[in-house]
Amino acid sequence: MAIQAPAAPVRRKRTATGNSGRTAALFLTPFFALFAVAMVAPVIYSIWLSFFSERKSGLGFGNPVTTFVGMENYVQVLQSETFLSGLLRLVGYCAMYIPAMVGGAVVFALLLDAGVARARKMFQLLVFLPHAVPGVIAALIWAYLYTPGISPLVQALESGGIQIGFLDAHMVLPSIVNIAVWEWTGYNVIILFTALQAVPREIIEAARVDGASEMRLSLAIKFPLVFPALGVIMLFTMIGTLQLFAEPMILSKATSSITSTWVPNMWAYDAAFNRHNLNQAAAASIIIALLAAILSFVVTRFSNKADKS
Amino acid sequence: MKRRQFILGAAGLFGTGLLVTACGTTEKPAAANKPTTEPKGEITFWSSLAGLDKVTEAFNASQSNIKVTFETIPNGVNGGYAKLATAITAGDGPDVSTVEYPQLPQFVSDGHLLPLNDLIDTAATVDKLSEQIRGQVQFGDSIYGLPYDAAPQILWLRKDLLEEAGAAVPTTWAEFEEAGKKLKAVNPERYLASFNPNEVPITAALAWQGGGKWFTTEGDQWKIGINDQPTMKVADFWQKMIDAKIVKVQQAASDEWGMDLAQGNVAGVLGASWSARSLQKRVENANQKGAWIAAEMPTWGEPAGAFYGGSSFNVTKGSKNPAAAAKFITFLTTDPKAIEARGNGGSAVIAYPGLTAVAQKAFDSSFFGNDIYAVFDAAYKTITPGWQWGPNWEITKAAIGDAYGKLGTGGTVGGAITAAQKATVEGLKQTGLSVTE
Repeated sequence: MAIQAPAAPVRRKRTATGNSGRTAALFLTPFFALFAVAMVAPVIYSIWLSFFSERKSGLGFGNPVTTFVGMENYVQVLQSETFLSGLLRLVGYCAMYIPAMVGGAVVFALLLDAGVARARKMFQLLVFLPHAVPGVIAALIWAYLYTPGISPLVQALESGGIQIGFLDAHMVLPSIVNIAVWEWTGYNVIILFTALQAVPREIIEAARVDGASEMRLSLAIKFPLVFPALGVIMLFTMIGTLQLFAEPMILSKATSSITSTWVPNMWAYDAAFNRHNLNQAAAASIIIALLAAILSFVVTRFSNKADKS
Repeated sequence: MKRRQFILGAAGLFGTGLLVTACGTTEKPAAANKPTTEPKGEITFWSSLAGLDKVTEAFNASQSNIKVTFETIPNGVNGGYAKLATAITAGDGPDVSTVEYPQLPQFVSDGHLLPLNDLIDTAATVDKLSEQIRGQVQFGDSIYGLPYDAAPQILWLRKDLLEEAGAAVPTTWAEFEEAGKKLKAVNPERYLASFNPNEVPITAALAWQGGGKWFTTEGDQWKIGINDQPTMKVADFWQKMIDAKIVKVQQAASDEWGMDLAQGNVAGVLGASWSARSLQKRVENANQKGAWIAAEMPTWGEPAGAFYGGSSFNVTKGSKNPAAAAKFITFLTTDPKAIEARGNGGSAVIAYPGLTAVAQKAFDSSFFGNDIYAVFDAAYKTITPGWQWGPNWEITKAAIGDAYGKLGTGGTVGGAITAAQKATVEGLKQTGLSVTE
């Protein structure tokens, strides 16, 4: 998986301004055009929608009237018990998922880099393989593995005297964390491993000469040097967590422990497509996006600081 | 926003008959009951019901003025209504939609459907229906759909397992409990039926049959009575069945559910007339031919019954050719050829009088151990009148379904019902409706 940087051929020098500006514009236009149509426009439309409401009256069999309601949708979302408990559930999810996934990724990456695994390429591929399975498919496979009565996993555990109801109300969150860890650890191992490869070899040589063991080398030298990469991983993981949707949605077909508004994204989906309240769904989506923005900001600030010190 | 308002506005005008020309058609839908000119053109039809592609073909072959394009969409549980509502809102929905009765008021109140009064020959269609089924598609004076099937709730049972336990087919809920106990005496791991948290319409049907009335109108107000006294009686009974392990709490149509049926761990299914096909599919490899029978629902004493599921066909507000769409849905719901063409697609009880016999002929029910259509007929006659669905079924359904998630960890059926009452009243008020308890 190591990426070979192509040797940049040195071409004729161009005058810096004018020509290159036009070239840059040429290359960037498709991006900005798509970005505007597929990202900016829907966001603006959602913000617009979130300030209105389809008002019904009486029995509701007349035509609904679109009314400006200001922040009312936001207030309703934030007052909704189910939305808030969904957010709280995400906090619990993070508390389990981030240590397990990031910890696992760091350990695997350091092991790979230390060359403990002989067949490094093979090992790398195996670690990454789960990520190649699309999230929805992974959730379907795990739903099968979790369902009592048909799952060989549950059966094997039972014959060993262990009874775990993976889909019970109190176990379903760890079960989903498990799916996510299975899916994402390998991906993040690759990011960390790439960062480790970029650690200057002189530093490692110097540490070796000073008599550092492989363990010491990994923990005291390499690990601190991949902190920026760790920051990136945290950022992606946080945003990914807020977008948690496919796994609980799929599992909700197999268990009643997962409600229709289990995580904020499912709440928004339920508002839009089950309750047909697009305005409230828009408000919920904007809230989720804002939270992601705030979290990203905090994480980047934090990792930048860690980087400098 | 503007475009959408325009579409809704235009559609609204169209519905009231003020705007008679829409893109593509020049015919004037007649104001009186019987359309005078022959509708022509191409229309689209969305449904998740099996076999309707064949029915569409039969319609296209039977005449040359209207050409219908059929598209299969996912069923409601799997996002079919999300697709339909979104498409209609966006202005590219089908001309003809399929909406089940619980969801119909919501589609009406969202302004997604056209009233049919001026589009169909009411004397030849809705006027011939039973009061119970007509009440499912008529709101105020307006008719928003032609009913296809009128599905009575049915208890499907393993005759052989009941016989083994020495239990008779239960006709009252007390006998149901008795049969469950006898079944467990033979094998403690066995259940009489499953209680399905993901199929809230079953709970609604049980409440309906028990005399509950969840949604009624009082003048210009909705009266919400989900936690009314008959419903609480029903809820307490099922909680008792769950506690006694006479019924097993599990998701309907899940892998676990299918396995329990195939292995004979569960001896019954709370279903409806349309369940025959899916039930047979689940268990036909398990050597259970002749073992399954249909039974009328046990009662609380008086004969009573409820519809569970069933669909109506509707003309959507975005339709460019409502006259042709109306003609097509009249064919779908009243013409014997339509029922014949569906073939072995499903074991439906047809709402329009006289057509159930046609459906019966087309459906191969040899897998079952009794005359299922005789049971359907009997059950159809006992449907309790006066049940109405509320203006946003999804709120109620989600509230009950979510609370059912706690059934394993201290939650109760009654608790779910109480929670749903509160959530429904609050949710409906949020949309601006007038609501009372």
